[in-house]
Amino acid sequence: MSAVEPPSEVATRAGFAAVARRQVVVLSPTIHFRLRPGDRALVAPGDTVVPGLPIAERTPDARLVHVGRLAGPSRNSSHGADGEASPVEPTPAGNASSPASLEGDGRRPPLPGEWWAGGGERRRMWPRGKPTAPVGGTLLFESGGRWLAAAAARHQIVESPVAGIVREARNAVEVTIEATGAALTGALAAGEPSRGHLDVPRLADGELWASALDVGRSGAVVVAGSRISAQAISRARAVSIHGLVAGSVGQGDLRDFEASEMRQSASLVETIPFGLIALDGNARRPIPTPILTLLAALVGREVAIVTNPPLLVFDAAAVPLPDLPSDWIRVRSGQHAGREGRWLEPGGLRRFRSGIYLEAAVVRLGGDTEPTVVPVSDLERFTFQVQVP
Amino acid sequence: MISQSRVLLALDLGSATTSGAVLGHVGGRWRLIAHVAAPCHVDVDATLFRLLTRVKLTDPKMLAELGAGEAADIRALVATWPRLVARTSPRRLVAVLAGSRRQRRRLETSALRAGWLVVGGSAEEDDHLALSRLALTSEVGVVLLGADRDPGGDERRQLPDLAALVAAVTRSRPELSVVLAGGAAVYEPALAAFGESIPASVRAVGQPVCGQVLLAPDAEAGNPPGASLQEILEGLRTLPNDSRLGVARSIASLAQILDRPIEVLEIGLQGGLWSRSEPVGLGHPAVVSSHACPADASFAPDNPSEEVIDGVLAWSTTAQDRHRVMDRLNDLRRLPWGEADGDGAVFRLAAAKAAIGRLVESSPAMLASSVPECLIAAGGIFAALPPSIVALAMADLLRRPGVCHLAIDHARLLGPIGAVEEEQERRRLLADLAEDILLPLGGLILPAGIKVGRSAGRLRLKGATAASEIELHPGTIEVVDLPPGRAARADLDFRDAVKLAGRGRHFSVDVRGGLCGLLVDLRDIPMRISDRPESRRLALEAWQRGMWPEVDE
Repeated sequence: MSAVEPPSEVATRAGFAAVARRQVVVLSPTIHFRLRPGDRALVAPGDTVVPGLPIAERTPDARLVHVGRLAGPSRNSSHGADGEASPVEPTPAGNASSPASLEGDGRRPPLPGEWWAGGGERRRMWPRGKPTAPVGGTLLFESGGRWLAAAAARHQIVESPVAGIVREARNAVEVTIEATGAALTGALAAGEPSRGHLDVPRLADGELWASALDVGRSGAVVVAGSRISAQAISRARAVSIHGLVAGSVGQGDLRDFEASEMRQSASLVETIPFGLIALDGNARRPIPTPILTLLAALVGREVAIVTNPPLLVFDAAAVPLPDLPSDWIRVRSGQHAGREGRWLEPGGLRRFRSGIYLEAAVVRLGGDTEPTVVPVSDLERFTFQVQVP
Repeated sequence: MISQSRVLLALDLGSATTSGAVLGHVGGRWRLIAHVAAPCHVDVDATLFRLLTRVKLTDPKMLAELGAGEAADIRALVATWPRLVARTSPRRLVAVLAGSRRQRRRLETSALRAGWLVVGGSAEEDDHLALSRLALTSEVGVVLLGADRDPGGDERRQLPDLAALVAAVTRSRPELSVVLAGGAAVYEPALAAFGESIPASVRAVGQPVCGQVLLAPDAEAGNPPGASLQEILEGLRTLPNDSRLGVARSIASLAQILDRPIEVLEIGLQGGLWSRSEPVGLGHPAVVSSHACPADASFAPDNPSEEVIDGVLAWSTTAQDRHRVMDRLNDLRRLPWGEADGDGAVFRLAAAKAAIGRLVESSPAMLASSVPECLIAAGGIFAALPPSIVALAMADLLRRPGVCHLAIDHARLLGPIGAVEEEQERRRLLADLAEDILLPLGGLILPAGIKVGRSAGRLRLKGATAASEIELHPGTIEVVDLPPGRAARADLDFRDAVKLAGRGRHFSVDVRGGLCGLLVDLRDIPMRISDRPESRRLALEAWQRGMWPEVDE
């Protein structure tokens, strides 16, 4: 990755410092995978993960299960009388994995959050003639000597979309990974973390027609221009595209997508993880040219969409960052939203539309011959991370 | 610190806006010398540097009088002059667990008034899995388990399981703090392995709260009911020198100094504040204060609900679909200073009004109180809006019959001054600064019970140098010119009996002027506007255009 941030005269000029700085790329981002009761981590803190490695097992239909009494350290039988259930299984992230919790005979007392698998021994609790599906999940708490668990028969494996080191792994709470590489920051994300090669169908910005998302792009993370529509999202999922990157996505489209995600996760069919990321937010804005340039440099490379926080993670090695003029600015909101240009000078306190007084900047936008006066608070400037050795 | 200084830099570090002010001891009293507001991404020292540079350019003698010397190095002044700092505490999430729906609602009310974002459940409504999900959510910072002081059978039966659930959750999430309120405190031994248990009353504000069990009173304790628990939860949520609580403290001191009831409405990105302080007792030796600072009174709440969208649409003067409003609210949250002019300003006004509406709804007891003598607007959302439209917003939302004076904390000094710990010192500072802090917007006369017709009566305004008379028309807002600093007597003769100070037809009240003069609001109380969106928008637009003629520029 090349360095692009030489301290310049412009950057130190009065007024320019008041322009909001947009950190485009972050190095070694920390990403989170939220878990819920019934979900377990399959990794432990300090583990190294690679893309595709299972890191967690979700229990999407977890329900409350009365486990009964669990064998403690002094008991050896796994299936005791009186509804006694099987002992807990050790898991990499189990709360009782520390040596301090081991007692006497080496058996660990059951602890909240630990993985529990059972079901078969509870045959008599089912109506006669019904099959007894084994269930698995995490223990919740002990009440009156009997344990409750969040468990179900169906589980889903969560694979790591990135390479990195596990910083935290707690059943039913979360897995945190410090990713290797760099990431492009987004404003919002939806769906599931996913991975694929980056495809940029058109380098000029604009809305991508849903018809451009064909099966030839299957497995890709596609840069979809300034806006993603609900139709484009549906089509992308249908042709096994792994993710979409756009300038913005409307809240209505996001709601449709989330509803579709819920329906899919409720079905028994295993689905391919699909994520989407909006770089600017909800209101329609074109992708900034420095970011589009960076995305163009990443075409064909493996990238990952991460939803918490919203990031597009990529391998940091040898990605040329755009060489921007140090006075490059972009209008991020207001009348000229989406336009880019160069900073000229501070404009002092000015009266803007509706009689509102704001600090102003004089800028030259695009190919305009005349300078434009815009509120400083509507501007942003770009900063990229410095060189990674 | 204050008694030894000649100058102070007052800073309100908000979530969206950083406000800086220079306070100087000049001519034997504290004065506001200059102030500035900037988006929070701008470096604080750079903001202060810019402010002091302007002071130096405008009035170098003033800077010298403040102790800067002739060849003052502004950077050195920024670094060395003492600071009064208040900051907005970040939003935090509490999981409320209770045995019954009734108890959950009480606990949630206290938590919401304390500024927490709340997720809640009860054993009566939810199973243990749902309650575990709430408490294990990684954004949750505190679990509040509460019961009546003497829990009834329905609650008592559920409490052992709930205590076991909370104890189990703390095993998975040792960073959590737990508050056991009311009768739930007896289950504190169940959490003994988790952390040190301390009565909430002995915990200092700003002390780290991870891994603690706090024992608190039940949700009905205090005056008004729930105030004791609210205070404890506020202490858990806030950073030291929290700006919002600072405003509430300043208002209490100001009410004592000015010897009149005062209310403040503050709307910010992370929430809002409605605080009221009223002197009581013979000779008014004490002040009774109450406040609520709900997080959902933010002008741009996170993940806006349908009710929030309805609220914004109800106050919007432009036709927009729901999704568009949601997009704009989300973008306003992301870029609170974005598009502060033109359409953006109109949208921000609608968002601010909707936030005030939520704030008012959250405190029905305060709405039932009499109109205060002084009503103050505060918060970054009002910083860029014209003063007249801020006055209109307050008149639109706080519809109580009476006469009051409207003002705005334009330099956002109430928060930093509230950070002064010693009460006497704070009062001395406020006594000097009261006139500088509160920019007068104008007087507001709001009668109730105006009947429809051609004329509601007449108003005669007698000032020191001039007198004027106007006809009062039902359903309108009449604006009478009365400049800031001027006082006058208003004689009102209504055609029918109305409610103002009491019930009657003739009233004579003292009013003070402001930037938008004297407002006589002859609209209904509560305000009745058509339910049809187009008619409603037209009505709002007509009132708004009268107060904000530049809106179409």
